[in-house]
Amino acid sequence: MVETAEEPEDPMANKGIGPVSEVTLGAEIDEAMAAEGKSIFETMCAACHKIDEKFIGPSPKGILKRRSPEWVMNMILNPEQMIKEDPVAKALFIEFNMSPMANQNLTEDQARKVLEYFRTLE
Amino acid sequence: MRRRINYLMLIASLLLVLLFVFPLWRITLTAPQYPDGISMFIWINKITGDNEYTLQNINILNHYVGMQYIVPESIPELTYFPYIILFMTAAGVAVAFTNNKKLIGTWLVTMLILGILGIYDFYLWEYDYGHNLSDKAPIKVPGMAYQPPLLGTKMLLNFKADSYPHWGGAVLGLSIILSYVALIKSRFSHEKS
Amino acid sequence: MLTLTGLFVFSACKNGMKQNSGILNNQSAAQKVYVAPGEHDEYYAFFSGGFSGQVSVYGLPSGRLLKIIPVFSVDAEKGYGFNEETKPMLNTSFGFVPWDDAHHPELSQTNGIPDGRWLFINGNNTPRIAKLDLSTFETTEIIEIPNSGGNHSSPFTTENSEYVVAGTRFSVPFPQKDVAIGSYKDNFKGALSFIKLDEDGHMDIAFQVLVPGYDYDLAHSGKGKSHGWTFFTTYNSEQSHTLKEINASQNDKDFIAAVNWKKAEEYLAQGKAQDYPTEYLINRYDEHSHTSTSITRNSVKVLIPEECPGLIYYLPTPKSPHGVDVDPTGEYIVGNGKLSADLTVHSFDKMMTAIANEAFEETIDGIPVLKFEEVLAGTVSSGGLGPLHTEFDADGNAYTTFFISSEVVKWKVGSWEVLDRAPCYYSVGHLMIPGGDSKKPWGKYLVALNKITKDRYLPTGPEMNHSAQLYDISGDKMEMLLDFPTVGEPHYGQGIAADVIKNRSKKIYPLNDNTHPHNIKSEAEARVERDGDVVRIYMTSIRSHFAPDNIEGIKVGDKVYVHLTNLEQDWDTPHGLSIMGARNAELLVMPGQTETLYWEPQKPGVYPFYCTDFCSALHQEMQGYIRVSEATSDIKLSWSLGESI
Ligand code: HEC
Ligand SMILES: [Cu+2]
Repeated sequence: MVETAEEPEDPMANKGIGPVSEVTLGAEIDEAMAAEGKSIFETMCAACHKIDEKFIGPSPKGILKRRSPEWVMNMILNPEQMIKEDPVAKALFIEFNMSPMANQNLTEDQARKVLEYFRTLE
Repeated sequence: MRRRINYLMLIASLLLVLLFVFPLWRITLTAPQYPDGISMFIWINKITGDNEYTLQNINILNHYVGMQYIVPESIPELTYFPYIILFMTAAGVAVAFTNNKKLIGTWLVTMLILGILGIYDFYLWEYDYGHNLSDKAPIKVPGMAYQPPLLGTKMLLNFKADSYPHWGGAVLGLSIILSYVALIKSRFSHEKS
Repeated sequence: MLTLTGLFVFSACKNGMKQNSGILNNQSAAQKVYVAPGEHDEYYAFFSGGFSGQVSVYGLPSGRLLKIIPVFSVDAEKGYGFNEETKPMLNTSFGFVPWDDAHHPELSQTNGIPDGRWLFINGNNTPRIAKLDLSTFETTEIIEIPNSGGNHSSPFTTENSEYVVAGTRFSVPFPQKDVAIGSYKDNFKGALSFIKLDEDGHMDIAFQVLVPGYDYDLAHSGKGKSHGWTFFTTYNSEQSHTLKEINASQNDKDFIAAVNWKKAEEYLAQGKAQDYPTEYLINRYDEHSHTSTSITRNSVKVLIPEECPGLIYYLPTPKSPHGVDVDPTGEYIVGNGKLSADLTVHSFDKMMTAIANEAFEETIDGIPVLKFEEVLAGTVSSGGLGPLHTEFDADGNAYTTFFISSEVVKWKVGSWEVLDRAPCYYSVGHLMIPGGDSKKPWGKYLVALNKITKDRYLPTGPEMNHSAQLYDISGDKMEMLLDFPTVGEPHYGQGIAADVIKNRSKKIYPLNDNTHPHNIKSEAEARVERDGDVVRIYMTSIRSHFAPDNIEGIKVGDKVYVHLTNLEQDWDTPHGLSIMGARNAELLVMPGQTETLYWEPQKPGVYPFYCTDFCSALHQEMQGYIRVSEATSDIKLSWSLGESI
């Protein structure tokens, strides 16, 4: 009972744990923001994430079909607590041989830009 | 009157041999940096330390205040005192066999004079080491002398110096007391016979 | 009756104490680690310096730093690796290597109990093992390990320090050769080395066991009934050579290798070993000549499992086991599977039965793999994540560190039940209990050696010293007493009752025993000699002067050796020596010792030299001058003390 209670029924409803509680996505992708997000991703994240394959961490391709935008931003901004307390992140951590998602100390604004970039990877 | 050996006198004189086994006197210097203290032992025939490097260590300390190095080879007493003691032992044994109260008395008085002379000599050496300071000494404390006490405890700058007789000193005292008892006893037995 | 009341009062007090919390608890913790000024600690603790290459010595329970002993890294403070006497200590077959990564200190043992004679420690990077003499706290021997890379499963000792061992964490071509990295599976092999100690305590390699090209991570030798065996953990049984963080974590189980070294001795005696050409160095420091020399060896004896049945077995162990730890009875072999939540404990008795019954799953390169269920004694389901290392107390309990969940878990040997857990700040690696990997643990304290410090102390920029935590383990519950920073990265530690070492500690080197080829034993022998452009200054020091202290006739381009003998014979009276402009460190010469400073004067002038260790009230006066003239000058070599030249 307890275990099922921890599993959120709809992963898209899980907003994760962290500073971000509400994200509004524009109807159209903001190309300028996405371009900035891409360059942040390439310097800060690409050592562990590849677009086309599973690497140290999962590929971000199609991530917004699996996760809520709030959850993604919280995972970027607050990974230590997420992998300890959020059931989805915790499961990911075990799946990835306990290699931890790094906190790259992005600002919320930068994380938002990365999120915009992720939207282009559908 | 039969001549009997005076055993007390025999023991008194043979005890002197122990002076070659135990030191007469001990001077111990303690300071915070020397928690175990540095001990110097004065024997009838030598000066030693609690380990083979003690004299060197004392000399290093002494040179700051301009004291002379303690070099046992340069103290003539250490070469002729042993002969005096050996002579007194032999004489004492002979006296014990004669059991003659006059001779015993003479031996005792000689020992007492020798003892006093010895202590006076020790004092002179201490005085010399303590006062005869090099005028080039790096540390000069006006009015300060570094003569260790003859008997007792005294502060010498940062060092506490304790000077007390050691086993050899005790043996010497015992020898004198025994010969004194032998003297009384010999008079007593003399009167009786 | 009286004793009964006494007992009652005592236990009542104890209960009373337990219930205290907050401030009162802090006070009792403070009392437990308080060692009054001038008093001595109860235990010595030796921690490796990791990337500092050195060993640091602490007192427990106070956490006082007592000394840093230079081992694999040059140390300007003590002139180690700078003075002529200690330079050979860092020689290898690659030449002078001035640094290494020091991981696991290990005390020598007699009958399975730490005896305080020596401390061994491994150099990980350029494989080496060092031996430190605990009567002088100096590194006195370093041996290089050939056919190895990443000397990590090292230098764990056997019950009577018959051997210390060295396993390769990075398998390499055996013997080394120029091959494609992609040919890993064909060309790369592991080596498990057994280094024998002779009667004088000198180390040399007795034999190596050639094993498959896995990563051999940690080791411990058997004790009691399992004396004669040494256990090594392996990972990367996948034999990958790139992106190992993923590729070496695929198999569900790797192995613990069990080596029967008594059997190896038999095979050695039968001449079964093959001589492999190689090159390795042994560097020995002599306490009387105060100098070190390097010996080169050109071959090593290798035993091949296919030719030596019964020499080695594999015990399957889940999830890339890191530490392997043998309990004080010698029966249980604990595999700390670092990518799992559980601990796997094997039984020595069951292993022997499985061997007798030939309960093998398969054979890899002549090494039988025992059936997992046949050797398994039990599993500790800890609830923690990432177990790394286990140590033991004297009461049948085991303590395991968990890196990921950052805690120490106490459990019962035999019933495998979890008794207690305590958090560590943060991400604990090794742990140390005095005697905790021996036959007779002292117990009482546990030190967690943590990898991450973050906010534990005042911040010191991006780099923080690593942190350690001291726990009282004498009660049922572990109680944290103290938090203290450590030097470098302590991987492992060893603890030993202070008395075992304290009374053997030397105070001076007797001058009479000094056999240094360039010593002098009195100021009368002080002199300067020239032979071509080599100038030797035979100098003495004693409070508070050097002899000689005025030297002329040295020329630009000369090769000057200052041989300084410290004539002091009193405890804790070293003198230092430094020369202006010398491209070198200082000397720091202990009483009765001779050390040599090498100096090539660059330009004409008069150069002061002085004592660098505040030795006495006249230390500031302990100085001198050396005159350096043009190479062509005809100033005569001359020297003096106390008068003008
Ligand atoms: C050190 C390697 C590393 C770096 C650098 C890193 N990550 Fe991760 N990331 C991981 C791992 C591993 C996971 C899987 C969760 C775990 O094991 O903690 C992960 C998970 C994630 C997830 C969740 C993926 C999913 O499928 O749910 C997101 C989103 C993510 N990372 C974004 C980022 C971003 C953005 C950056 C750069 C700012 C970044 N990561 C940098 C290792 C890394
Ligand atoms: Cu000095």
